[in-house]
Amino acid sequence: MFRKIWRNRIEFYPAIAIFIWYTVGVLLNSTVVKSRPGIGTLGWITLPTVAVFFVAVYKTYRGLPSEGGKS
Amino acid sequence: MGEGHQPVAATSDYDRKYVTVSAFILIAIIAFSTYLHHWQPQILRVPNNRDVSSWVNPRFDQTCLYKSSSEADREKIRKEGVPGDSLGNLIFMDVFSILVALFCFLHARKKYGIWMAWSFFLGSFVFTGLQESMWILFGRFTGTSAAQGIGETAPGTYWFTKDGLWFFETPVMACLGWFFIAYGCVWMAGKVFPKRSLLVRAAVGGLLAMIVDLWADPISTAPELMTWVWATEDCVRIFGIPQSNFLGWFLLIFVFALIWEQLPRWDKTLGRSKATNRFFWVLLASDIAILLFQYPWCYALRGILIAAGVDQTLYIPAGW
Repeated sequence: MFRKIWRNRIEFYPAIAIFIWYTVGVLLNSTVVKSRPGIGTLGWITLPTVAVFFVAVYKTYRGLPSEGGKS
Repeated sequence: MGEGHQPVAATSDYDRKYVTVSAFILIAIIAFSTYLHHWQPQILRVPNNRDVSSWVNPRFDQTCLYKSSSEADREKIRKEGVPGDSLGNLIFMDVFSILVALFCFLHARKKYGIWMAWSFFLGSFVFTGLQESMWILFGRFTGTSAAQGIGETAPGTYWFTKDGLWFFETPVMACLGWFFIAYGCVWMAGKVFPKRSLLVRAAVGGLLAMIVDLWADPISTAPELMTWVWATEDCVRIFGIPQSNFLGWFLLIFVFALIWEQLPRWDKTLGRSKATNRFFWVLLASDIAILLFQYPWCYALRGILIAAGVDQTLYIPAGW
């Protein structure tokens, strides 16, 4: 599985970009903010995007060419 | 960015010239803007990060930052200014954005070819960079904005406080962010809804980005980060952020995706050179149209709220 992902890693580049933006640019920064109570809880509002992200990654994986007859 | 998209064939001479010339122009604009921002700040009236009492259009006490801060936070900001604008931090933000953008560019180049990939990069960079700069400079120099307040008035719109490199008055980090967020979100929409029309995929892409921004903006504008600063004047504030910001996020990604997907068709009917020209002219016209759309939208929203008996800024949820 990992070899298959590695060989087709470029297919996951947009997902990696979104993942880095979300985790470093938003999630990590949210831990710095102490002046707004509830800012962490507000993160749940992004659940639809997170869900679509995982579906997109899964569909990308499913769409990869099979290796040696295995998918 | 539907699943059925194939790379657009390269016409190597034109593509090479297009990428080289436009990259040179872009770098020249960034170099000049960066010089103006850091070394000649008086020309574009760049707000001073160290002295918030010198802010005008809006003043410090006319910002959302001031309204949502405690008195202790305000005092700290008055004393210390904008946090985190050290040279090391500015370089990190630029390098980080370039690396993340590179992921999307490499994917786009493989999937759609260099012409389409570069057009997405350059188009989204310029489209959003110009849009933001127009908003920022218009507010700063005229003291007016499309946003309509209820029970309070504040001159100006907003501005970004920190970055190393600038494109007019928009940080390069923000332009690159627009590129990879737009590309990534429209990619997600295309993966999950491959059979849906372009209109639906573009709308879903815009919504996905806007949803994350509902969390990202209250974080970025908090006193601990102050990555950008908003004037208070807008009749609706969602999590402390003017509603016009979220509408802008959706519209920019939605409209850009719609226009970019026309490129293969224009290439076939007009040829590569004319298709490129049309792409950028349509983007420029859309930039101005989105800006102008915000005026009647904000005016109508304010009218509806007043008719409904609202007599001061509506905070959603209350207390933010």
